[in-house]
Amino acid sequence: MAAEPASGAGLFGADLAADPRPTFAELRKGSPVLRLPDLQGFGDGGVVILSRYEDVHFALRHPEVFSSTEAAVDIGQDRPLIPLQVDPPDHAGYRRLLDPHFSPRAVNGMEGAVRELAAELIEGFAARGRCDFHAEFATPFPATIFLRLMGLPMEELPMFLRWRDGIIRPQVDPSDLDGARTVRKQTGQEIYAFFDAVIDDRLASPQDDLMTAFLTDEIEGRRLSRDEVLDMCYLFILGGLDTVTASLDCLIARLAQHPEERQRLVDDPSLIDGAVEELLRFETPVMGVPRLVVADVTLDGVEVKAGERAILLLHSADTDEAEFDGADEVDFGRERNRHFAFGGGPHRCLGSHLARRELKVALEELHRRIPEYSLAPGAELSYSPGIRQVDPLPIVFPVGAR
Amino acid sequence: MRVVVDPDKCVGHGRCYALAPDVFEPDDDGYCMVRHYEVWPAVAELVRRAVANCPEEALTIED
Ligand code: HEM
Ligand code: SF4
Repeated sequence: MAAEPASGAGLFGADLAADPRPTFAELRKGSPVLRLPDLQGFGDGGVVILSRYEDVHFALRHPEVFSSTEAAVDIGQDRPLIPLQVDPPDHAGYRRLLDPHFSPRAVNGMEGAVRELAAELIEGFAARGRCDFHAEFATPFPATIFLRLMGLPMEELPMFLRWRDGIIRPQVDPSDLDGARTVRKQTGQEIYAFFDAVIDDRLASPQDDLMTAFLTDEIEGRRLSRDEVLDMCYLFILGGLDTVTASLDCLIARLAQHPEERQRLVDDPSLIDGAVEELLRFETPVMGVPRLVVADVTLDGVEVKAGERAILLLHSADTDEAEFDGADEVDFGRERNRHFAFGGGPHRCLGSHLARRELKVALEELHRRIPEYSLAPGAELSYSPGIRQVDPLPIVFPVGAR
Repeated sequence: MRVVVDPDKCVGHGRCYALAPDVFEPDDDGYCMVRHYEVWPAVAELVRRAVANCPEEALTIED
């Protein structure tokens, strides 16, 4: 692919998502601050693409220059999502309310149930010798954990998944921007209506779940308004259902094609923590995050102006040779790994501690039950752009051996 | 050798307490607390590793 794609279509197309590394390396070398006249589905006007680790690092940590408000792609929402599209200082209050529910301590309390669920799902296909890992594990595993945490009914999972896809991957022709907007808007209205009803229910009969906590927890002595709770729920449906699925897809697709790496983890599970960090770096499933420039700034000699939109290419930052020695190699024992797979700065992923635990437990349980697996013969994987899911992900494995 | 965390920079990635749990621990929100500022020889390597893995450059070693 050319170093300077004429439009954003190439930069976020499906071809690129399978292996963005060569294109991103060209970008970092030739045009680390690339200005595109337009980017499909990314609002009106131009957009600036940051690809170097150093610049992405700066942008993540300077919300007074790179704001998260009104920055996002159209995701069908009526108001800014909380806390994703709120800047400091207001942002901090929301995080103080949310952080304890997602802290390492809170995650420790969930681990037993998480492990049981993983084992149960794996048992469902272990005797068959093949499975679609995306549909049979990577999708139900994080979704079930998330719905239990929120206190939402499992039977509704297909509906939540349909919402997620309606927002993130609307099934219309990629050039049909109005069509995509309509699908997103409709889906958005369904999401608001559903959670509105859940809020009524929890106000009437509180439960021990996150939905109730949103309604009863206080920030500096005040409770959240109904709209604020809705604006969190909207984000959680997207953030909680998609990203761990994509990460599991990326990790297992990699290990299924690199038997020596898989075998090292099977032989020595103590390597899994490092492997999860390294594979998150190498794969960076959330390829980039959007921002709105609110103060003029010069990066790599290029002036970026207030009012411009920006995309911070996390995937490119995480494979930048200037920060990572041997950036194109997977090294489970990497000494220095300051990756941004979970973003960074104030908006560091709220779910990162939970997500890491889910990935670790998934690898441990899978390798305990199915130590050997590979891609189904003839399988051709397709990675979705933006958030890199692999659907389907057919793998095969010997049965019986345990 | 001493290690300090800058609470204005720490955003709770948790890399430090995962790598060197004897020296760092999460507070109730998942942000870094230093349990022992004075680093003893047996954990020095792990502490260096933790510092090298903090994406926010929130940790510093003072010799
Ligand atoms: C491996 C899985 C995951 C990855 C790769 C991931 C990635 C990210 C990234 C890159 C951001 C930063 C967005 C930005 O700076 O604009 C983010 C934020 C966020 N994530 Fe995740 N995420 C994952 C799992 C989760 C889970 C499981 C949840 C919830 C249950 C979650 C909830 C959130 C929330 C609420 C935010 C917004 C935080 C804020 O703005 O303060 N994420 N995530
Ligand atoms: S790794 Fe850095 S940012 Fe993360 S908890 Fe430790 S000190 Fe804080």
